[in-house]
Amino acid sequence: MLKYILKRVVAMAITLFIIISLSFFAIRLIPGDIAGENAAPEIKAAMEARYHLDKPLGEQYAIFIKNFLSFDFGESMTLYPRRPVFTIIKDKIPLTLMLNVFSLCLTVPVGLICGIAAALKKNTIIDHTISAMVVFNVSVPAFVFASLLQYVFAYRLGWFPFLLNLDATFSFSKFVSMILPILALSFGGIATITRYMRAELFEALNSEYMLLSKAKGLSKVQSTLRHALRNSFIPLCNVIIPMFMGLLGGSMVVENIFGIPGIGSLTAASIQTSDYYLTIAVLFFYSIIGLTSMLLVDLSYGIVDPRIRIGGGKVRE
Amino acid sequence: MEKILEVKDLHIHFNAFAGHVKAIRGVNFHLNKGETLAIVGESGSGKSVTTKAVTRILPENAVIDNGEIIYKGQDLLKMSEKEFTNIRGSEISLIFQDPLSALDPVMKIGKQIMETLILKQKMPKKDAEKRALELMKAVGIPNAEKRFHEYPFQFSGGMRQRIVIAIALACNPELLICDEPTTALDVTIQSQILELIKKIQKENNLSVIFITHDLGVVANMADRVYVMYAGKIVEEGTVEDIFYDPRHPYTWSLLASMPNLDTRGSDKLMVIPGTPPNMLYPPKGDAFAARNRYAMKIDFEREPPMFKVSDTHYAATWLLHPDAPKVEMPEHLKQRIKQQLEEAGRYNG
Repeated sequence: MLKYILKRVVAMAITLFIIISLSFFAIRLIPGDIAGENAAPEIKAAMEARYHLDKPLGEQYAIFIKNFLSFDFGESMTLYPRRPVFTIIKDKIPLTLMLNVFSLCLTVPVGLICGIAAALKKNTIIDHTISAMVVFNVSVPAFVFASLLQYVFAYRLGWFPFLLNLDATFSFSKFVSMILPILALSFGGIATITRYMRAELFEALNSEYMLLSKAKGLSKVQSTLRHALRNSFIPLCNVIIPMFMGLLGGSMVVENIFGIPGIGSLTAASIQTSDYYLTIAVLFFYSIIGLTSMLLVDLSYGIVDPRIRIGGGKVRE
Repeated sequence: MEKILEVKDLHIHFNAFAGHVKAIRGVNFHLNKGETLAIVGESGSGKSVTTKAVTRILPENAVIDNGEIIYKGQDLLKMSEKEFTNIRGSEISLIFQDPLSALDPVMKIGKQIMETLILKQKMPKKDAEKRALELMKAVGIPNAEKRFHEYPFQFSGGMRQRIVIAIALACNPELLICDEPTTALDVTIQSQILELIKKIQKENNLSVIFITHDLGVVANMADRVYVMYAGKIVEEGTVEDIFYDPRHPYTWSLLASMPNLDTRGSDKLMVIPGTPPNMLYPPKGDAFAARNRYAMKIDFEREPPMFKVSDTHYAATWLLHPDAPKVEMPEHLKQRIKQQLEEAGRYNG
C-alpha cells in the first residue's frame, strides 16, 4: 500500500512539473503587457528587470524552476503588485471554501435523495420528472444558469441582492446574499450525483443478492437499506470525493457573476492581466487539487470495497 | 399423508413488449410433508416461475391470472405482503441457481447469515452468532470461526452455495425449494451439495421441492416427479413410475436423450426435434404435438386431460385414451430401462 502511494506521489510530481512548464510557456502566448500600454519606458524596463523578463526565455524558465523548487512561487506582477502569490491564494481560500461547503451540504443530500427516489420509482412520473431535471441541469452551462438566477430572483423579483455581501462578520443579510451563488454552484453537482445514484441503485436493486435477501424474508425497505444502498454507494465515491476536493477550487464563472473575490475570480483576473506568476500558481493549485482527489478516489476504493481491500489481486478461489 | 403445499390451477403470464407470455397454463401439484418432489423440464418450461410464485418473488411484470397456492390451509396468494414476509424465509426457504452472485458482495458472510435471525426472529446478537456458526459447521464449512468474518469473494462457488443453504436453513424452515442448486457448480461439487441437501432433509424432516433439468439428480433425490412442458404438467408419478414406466412421449424423449454410463462414443444420443413453442402464442391442443413423433390428429386440436395410469401415476397424452392406437415407447429406451432394472436387481438382490 505504502509503495503504491509513493509511486503515485512520484507520478503526481512529474505531472505537476509538466503542467507548470507548459503553463509557463503558454501564458506568454497570451497578448498583453505587464506594465500597461501607456507606461513610461523606464517603468516598463524596471518591471521587466525585476521579473527577469529582459532575459532570454530559456533563462527565465531556469530561474522560474529554480525558485519553484525552493518553494518560492514568485510575486504577483499586476493584480496585487509585489505580494507573494502564495499569500494571495491563501487569503482567497476561506471565502471560496465557505461557499462551497454550503453548496456541498445542499448537493450531496439532494442528489442522493433524488437519485434514490428515481431508482425506486423507476419508470414512473417521479422518475421521469427527476430525469428530465437532470438532463436540463447537465446540459445548461453554469454561466447561463447563474445569470438566469440573477435575472429572475435578483433583478425581476428582487428577493436577493445581485452581489455577494462582503461584510467581514457573518450576518443574516450576508447569508441571504449567498443563497443565489450557492444554488448556482450546486445544480451541476446535484445532477451528477442523481444520475450516478439512480443508475447504481437500479442495478443493485435488480441483482441476485436482492432476490436472496427478499427470499430470506427481509422486507423491501430492509433489503434496500441493508444491501442495495450499501452496494451502490461504493461506485459513488468516484463522484463525491472529487466534489469535496473541489470545495477549495470554486467556480470561475459563478464567482465572477456574483462578484465573489474567491479563487475562481482570481484565476480569471490573473489571466486577464497577464499576471504570469500568479496564473501559474493558481493553475498549480488547481492541479494539486485535481491530482490529489484522483489519488484519494483510488485509495478510497481500497477502503470501502472489501474486494479490493482484502483481495488486492490475490483472490482465493 | 399430510399435504403441506398444494398448487391448484395456477395460471401466470408475463407482460412483455411483444404481448403476453403465458408461462404457466394451469399447473396442479401437491407436496406431502417430508417428501422430496422434483419438477423436471427444459429451460423455459415454467419450473422456476412456479416456485417463484410459491415464494412470491415473481418479477414485477408477472401477473397471476388464476389459481390457489395452499400452504398449511392458507392461500398464499391471498395473503398481504406483510403477512407473507413472516412465512417467506422463516417457513418456506429458497436456494438459488447461481450462488456466485446471490450473496451481497460487500457484507461479511457471518453477518449475512445472522441477518434473518436478528431481523426476523429478534434473536440477540450473541445467540445469532452462535447459531450462524452452527449452521456454517452443519453445511460443512471448515474453519467456520475464521470464515465467519470473510467476504463472499473469498469463497469458492461450492462454498458459497453452502452459505446460501445455511442462510436458507437459518430459521428452521419446513419447506425448502431448491431451484437448480447445482447447475452453476462443477460435477464433483454438485454431488457434495446434493448429499448435503439430502442429509439436511433427513435431519430436519424437511419437505423439499427440487427444480432441475438434470434427470440424474432427480433419480438420486426425489420421491415423486412432475414433468413440465410449456407451462403445464405433462406427467406425474413416483420416481419408479417416471423412470421405469414413462407414458408421455415427452418423458420418453427426455429419458432417451440422457446419456448413461453405457453410452459409447459412437452411440448417437436421441435429440428432441424442433424447439419449445413460442409462449406468446401457445399452440392449440397438446403443446408438444409439433415435436412428437407419435402425435395424432387430435393432439393438434384438443388438449389432453390427465389420464390415470395408477394411483400415483398420471400423464397428459391422448395415447392413454382407450380409443388410441397402441403405441409402445421407443425400442432403445425400452432396452435401456430393462438394462437398468437388471442392474438395479443385481445390486439389490
